[in-house]
Formats: sequence, C-alpha cells, structure tokens
Amino acid sequence: MKTILWLQGGACGGNTLSFLNAENPDVLEFFSYYDVKVLWHPSLSLESGDKVRELLNNIVDMKINLDIFIFEGTVVLGPNGSGKFNMFAGRPMKDWVNEISKVANYVVAVGDCASFGGVPASEPNPTESTGLQFHKKEKGGFLGKDFRSRKNLPVINIPGCPAHPEWIITTLSMIINDKLTEEDLDEYQRLKIIYSTTTQFGCPRNIYFSYKVALKEFGHREGCLYFDLGCKGSYTKSPCNVILWNKQSSKTRVGTPCFGCTEFDFPTFNFFVTEKNRSGIPKRLPLGVSRGAYTTLSAVARASAPEFLVKPLIKKKEDRGNWLE
Amino acid sequence: MSSKIISPFNRVEGDLDVEVKFERNKVVDAKIISRLFRGIEIILKGKNPLDALVITPRVCGICGASHLYASASALDMIYNAEVPINAIRLRNVLSMAETCQNDLRHTYFMFLIDVLNNKYRDYANFEEVIRRWAPIQGSSYKECFRWSKKYTEVYAIFGGQWPHGSAIVPGGITADPLPNEIQRAISILLDIKRNYLEKVILGGPIDQFLDTVKSYNDLLQWAEDYKEGDLAKILEFGLEANWHKLGYGSGIMLSYGHLPIEEYVGIPRKKYFKPGIYFAKEKEYKEFDQRNVLEFVNSSYYIYSKGDQAGLHPFEGETNPNLDEKNKNKYSLTKCFRYKLDGKLIAPEAGALAMLTVSGNPLILDLIDKIGPSVLSRVIARLVRVLIYNELMLQELNSFEFGKPTYKKPSEVKEGMGYGLVEAPRGALGHWVVVKNEKILNYQIVTPTQINMSPEDPLGNKSHMALALIGTEVSDVNNPIEVHHIVRSHDACMVCNVHMLKLI
Ligand code: SF4
Repeated sequence: MKTILWLQGGACGGNTLSFLNAENPDVLEFFSYYDVKVLWHPSLSLESGDKVRELLNNIVDMKINLDIFIFEGTVVLGPNGSGKFNMFAGRPMKDWVNEISKVANYVVAVGDCASFGGVPASEPNPTESTGLQFHKKEKGGFLGKDFRSRKNLPVINIPGCPAHPEWIITTLSMIINDKLTEEDLDEYQRLKIIYSTTTQFGCPRNIYFSYKVALKEFGHREGCLYFDLGCKGSYTKSPCNVILWNKQSSKTRVGTPCFGCTEFDFPTFNFFVTEKNRSGIPKRLPLGVSRGAYTTLSAVARASAPEFLVKPLIKKKEDRGNWLE
Repeated sequence: MSSKIISPFNRVEGDLDVEVKFERNKVVDAKIISRLFRGIEIILKGKNPLDALVITPRVCGICGASHLYASASALDMIYNAEVPINAIRLRNVLSMAETCQNDLRHTYFMFLIDVLNNKYRDYANFEEVIRRWAPIQGSSYKECFRWSKKYTEVYAIFGGQWPHGSAIVPGGITADPLPNEIQRAISILLDIKRNYLEKVILGGPIDQFLDTVKSYNDLLQWAEDYKEGDLAKILEFGLEANWHKLGYGSGIMLSYGHLPIEEYVGIPRKKYFKPGIYFAKEKEYKEFDQRNVLEFVNSSYYIYSKGDQAGLHPFEGETNPNLDEKNKNKYSLTKCFRYKLDGKLIAPEAGALAMLTVSGNPLILDLIDKIGPSVLSRVIARLVRVLIYNELMLQELNSFEFGKPTYKKPSEVKEGMGYGLVEAPRGALGHWVVVKNEKILNYQIVTPTQINMSPEDPLGNKSHMALALIGTEVSDVNNPIEVHHIVRSHDACMVCNVHMLKLI
C-alpha cells in the first residue's frame, strides 16, 4: 500500500478538478488498482478540523508513513515572508509544506503554480508566491535547489494550468511502481515522456502553420493562430493536441490560442496578440528555428501555399472570407 | 460559553475557518474567516484587457467558465460588441455544462457524505443512504464520479478543455463547430439524461418532473411515486434529519440573472433567468440595479484611501491588502458585500436557491414558502437546476444554426467601463472593469461566496451565512454536524478569497 497526502496552497483547485476527470483508469480505479491510500485531500476527505491537524502532526513525526506528498498551488510567503496570506490548520501553509516535504518519500508539484509559481507569482507577485523548487525559470523556489526527498529525487513537476489528468496518473503510477528515475526528468523536472513534444504536434491547424496561412480573427476552423492571435503552441512543451482534453478537444482545436501554461514563464500576458518586431516577424519563433531560417522558409512556404488553404474550406452564408491571410 | 474552531473546514473549494460561539448547544455567534489571498485583481492592473479572459478563470478551478463569462460580458460592454446568437447559445452551453458538473460534484462529494456522521447511526434509513452516498464506495457516489465528468466533455467540445478553457471572447466565441460536434454534445447530454439523471437522481422521467412538479406537495408526491431516486431519498432523509429547519439565514434572495436569450450589442437585455431580489417572508420581488452594490473593508484586512468606513462601488473599488493584526475589528481577507436598498444595507443569500426563486420557478418558490430557505431547500434547488440546465442545453444546441457566425470582431476602443453579471454555480458573480489607454486600470471581482460569507459591515450587520448559523441548536457541541451542513449547503468556495471555521 502507498500513501498520498494532497494539500493546496495558493491554488484555485483546478488540478484537483482536472484529476477527477481522469479516465482509464479513473481516479477510483486508479486508487484501488495501485492500492493507494489517500491520507487526506481537502475536497475529498471526510475529516475536518482537529483530526486533520493530528494527522499532519503524525506525518511530520513520522508516526504515519507518507509515500507521496502532492502539492497544488503556490507556496505563499507573503506578507513580508510571514506566509500569513495562506493559513492552514492554524499555521502558515508554508511551514507545513516545509516539514512534510522532509518526511515524504516523493514530493510532487501538480500544476504550473506548484511547479513554477504560475499566475499568483506573476508580477507584481502580491502574495510573494513561489513554486516548490522553481521560481519561474530559476531553480530554487521554496524548498531550495538542493532539495531532495527521502527517495533522493528532486521535486517532480507536473506543470500545466491545470495539469491533464493523464499526466498526473502517469507520473503517480511510475512513482508507485518505483520506476521513476532522475533520467526520466527534463531540466525543469518534468517527465520527458510527457513534455518532450510541443503543443503543435497534432494540432489540425498545423498545415496552415506550415504554409504560413494566418487566421486574422476568432471563430473559424481554418488558419493558424501563431501569426496574429498569440498562439504559443510552436514553442510550448505539452501533448495537449495528441491526447486531447476531456476526451474531446484542445484549445487550438476550438480556435483559442495556446497560452503556454506548461512552461515556467506562464503567464506571459498579452495572450491574444502575437508580438512582432519591426519587420513584422514574430518575436518568439518556433522552438529551435533561427531568424534567418524562419524568414527564408516563410517566403517559400507562403508562395507555395495550396489554393484551397487560403480561402474558407466551407463557404458560409455570411462569410466575407477575408479572415485568412 | 464555549467556543469551537474548525480549521481547516474542508470539502469546500479551498480551505476555510469558521468561528462559532456556543451557549450550551446553541450557536450564539459565528464568524467566517477568509485566510487566503491570491491578489488576482492586483495582477490584472495595467494588463491588456483580453488577458482577463485567461487570468480570471484561474480565480476558481471549479467555476472558471463563470469567471470567463463574466469577464467577456464586461468586455462586450466596453467594446460595445455585437454578439451573434450562435455565440450566445454556445456560451450558455459552456456555462451550464460547468455548473451541472459543479452541482453534482458538490452534492455528492462535498455535501451528502456528511450523512456518515455518528448522529445518524440510529436513523431508519442509515444503511440505505450509506449504501448510496458513502464516499468512494457508495453506489450514487460512484455514479457521480462517472457522470459528472461527461459534462466536462460537452464543455470541451466547444471550450477546448475543462477546467480553464478560454473560448469566450468579446464578440462571441472562438469555436466554429461543425454539425457533427453539435450532434456529439447532444448525444452526450441525452445519455446523461436517460442513464443518469432519470435513473439515479430522479428515478423517473425528467420531462414529467419539469412539467408537473410545481409545488412542495407535488414534490412530496413525486417522492412517493418515484421512491428509488436520490431526490426522494434526500427529501426523506433530510426531513427526518430536520434539514428543512436548518440554516434559514437572511431570507433575502439575490440573483444577477443568467443566460441571454437573444442577440445583443454591448449588454444583454433579456435572460432566461431574470435578475432581482426576493424577500422570502414578505414574498416581495424588487428590481436589481448594479449601481447599488457596495464593498466595505471595516472588518477586512484591506485599507481604503477614503478611510475604512467607506463603502465603494466596484468601479471605484480598491484592493490594498494590509494584514494589520493589531486592529481587532479586522479578521477576514474577504471584503464585505452589501446591497443598498431604500437607504439600508442588505446582506442577501446567493446560489442556486436564490437564482431559481428570483427567476420565479414555481416549485422553488413554494419550497421556500413551505420549508424556508434551508439546508434542504438549497440541496434540492441545486439538483433541480441540473435538470433544468440539461434540458436547456439540449434546446440551445438544437437551435444552433450552422453557417451563421459565432464571432463578430468588435472595433477597438481605448477606454471604457463595463460590468459582467452572471450566475456562477455558487450564485451571483460580478466583474467590474475599467479600461484606460487600452490597459486595465481597475478590475474588481465580487464573488457569490463573498456575498454569502462577508464579515460585518460598519453598521454591524452580519452576512447571510453568519445569520444562518446563529441560533442553530447542535445535537453535540463536539460534533456540530449541523454547522457543517449549513456551511456546505451553500457550496462555499474558499479559493475565491476565503478560509473559515475557527473558534474564538
Ligand atoms: S501555432 Fe498554435 S494554432 Fe498554429 S499549428 Fe501551432 S498549435 Fe496550432
């Protein structure tokens, strides 16, 4: 049997809700299949008040073995380092996090907030929030860059705002089977099997991206969102468009740009705009592409764009058809 | 006098502290304490107005689409956007799908599992309800696990992903669904209807329920006729446990109204559920005017430039947190919501019960007449809303006209003010936005949890939740399950701003 404790800091609860959407296995099947005991979870457990405090103290005193400590949300340090913006069971949450991380076999940061600080830690960071082992790009965060859990691993990050349930289940099952090693993690301590490809993989608009056909306004299936509407899919690491959300879709499939929520710099703001330099080239280029190569490739690609891609695929009643470029 | 602190108070969204003072077994005072501050309003300052569509859903993981809808509506107003009917229908579907997911999960995962309490061991129905509602093992608990997420599939078909899609934008929606996608969503909703809502929740046909159950007596009759549904069991168990006598509160119902019916420019005129204020005892309805919304900080850890006794309308709102623990009057990180009516400050109740009462649903109106605004009527209203929403989603999707636009690009404006008022799962939610030089100058969010659970205003008036708790007689001071029922019947959302249950 493995034990899990799940706590929430500066969080919206979105990762918990996302986790509940898991399928094959769903959360209940997962727990029973892997013989997991959830010691406590803020929205799923029966116990309130004193009983929770007693449990936490027993964990800290190692009277109860804790295999996996899952933390959702930022570690809140404000105001002035006191942590009092986020009190939990009579103390600043940060103090619990500090003590529990020391006794857990594995520490897992679920969501962008716990991994990197996410939305609460964005400028001007009014709550003095930080991630468990990163503050944005910088290694360190709340637990410090040298932190290792009892099984000698750094914090395992499952970023995403929220994390996809399948990423959470995959990561947890590898941990439970003692299969997760340091080689499985990338430089941001994310599982490589999940975070190696970009969001663009599997996006149905990819062909428009290849031929540089831009979508100029929302509400259409055709055209790529990279050139004008701020899509970060070509330089964000996530398999959203391959495994899909809620078994159905993804942001770019419904015409919403990718916001880069699995990355350390989320949220970057100005989300629906592609920032460009003076010659009209996007400031952020697709992962691994140089400026020169991009310019050359664009010209050739646009010039060779197939006729059927530069106009609406299905002509609709009120279509002016001038939203592709 | 004894005091009890329940901290953390779980199974609300986020953590919560509530302070309850007892005289013998009676609650004589209650404070609801918010202890989490995330500073979203401060982060939005100076940002591109559209960024609010990405940031505000992150206020709450379970009702992000409501924040998205409120945010986009405020921007519709600022840009004077023309919103096509197709977009309105899909926006409505997103909002309803999320709310159904919430209402079911709240009912089964957060509220009903409290029947496991010691107090109920000797109840005749105990075995039966445990078999259904016990966490993890209960049959209906498992069904809820399985079916509630189907609503997130409906959401994702048009919203990309749940939680935290951002498909609603001023002027419409980013999606442009094909008929097969509409069909898929309809098919999922019909599956939910036939194989879950009718089989597990209702025990009988939805159409018949919605057509014929119009009063409390009809409801009792329904429970007789369709004994196997959870609704009948909730009613039966709730009456035995006196849930209909628990948690009356302010008796004033507030709703901002929800779901526009027709195309609009800037601001919706007509909604399926109308806004307003309803006085339960007097059976009196009043119009709602957003200009009368005020926020106070005299009991909250914030300071106002005009002094802490001032009440500010959200357009003039300020968010300056200041954790001054020496000031004994202050104890919460939630600002105090009040509505100014005829020179008085009122502290209403918000939520499914308020929304359905204000909009004139005959069953719910009769329910609060017969068993009051109460724990039981809140739980029932929430489930009834799921039934109504499931039908309304089908209607909206069936009326979707492929080939017509889902988005019209609004023209750019440099400045303006707008508000977006919606009914989130937990009740009336408002975003007030001021834009200047194409940037957000002020962004104020007033959440339903704040409406229900604010601290005291400068006149010492208590909020609805405190009133609902005060006067409650608990069967065991060391196991005040009645307090839990009252708080959880409101589907408290602490991540919006709050923490609660701490004893003084
Ligand atoms: S840039 Fe965005 S919209 Fe374009 S192909 Fe990549 S993920 Fe899809």
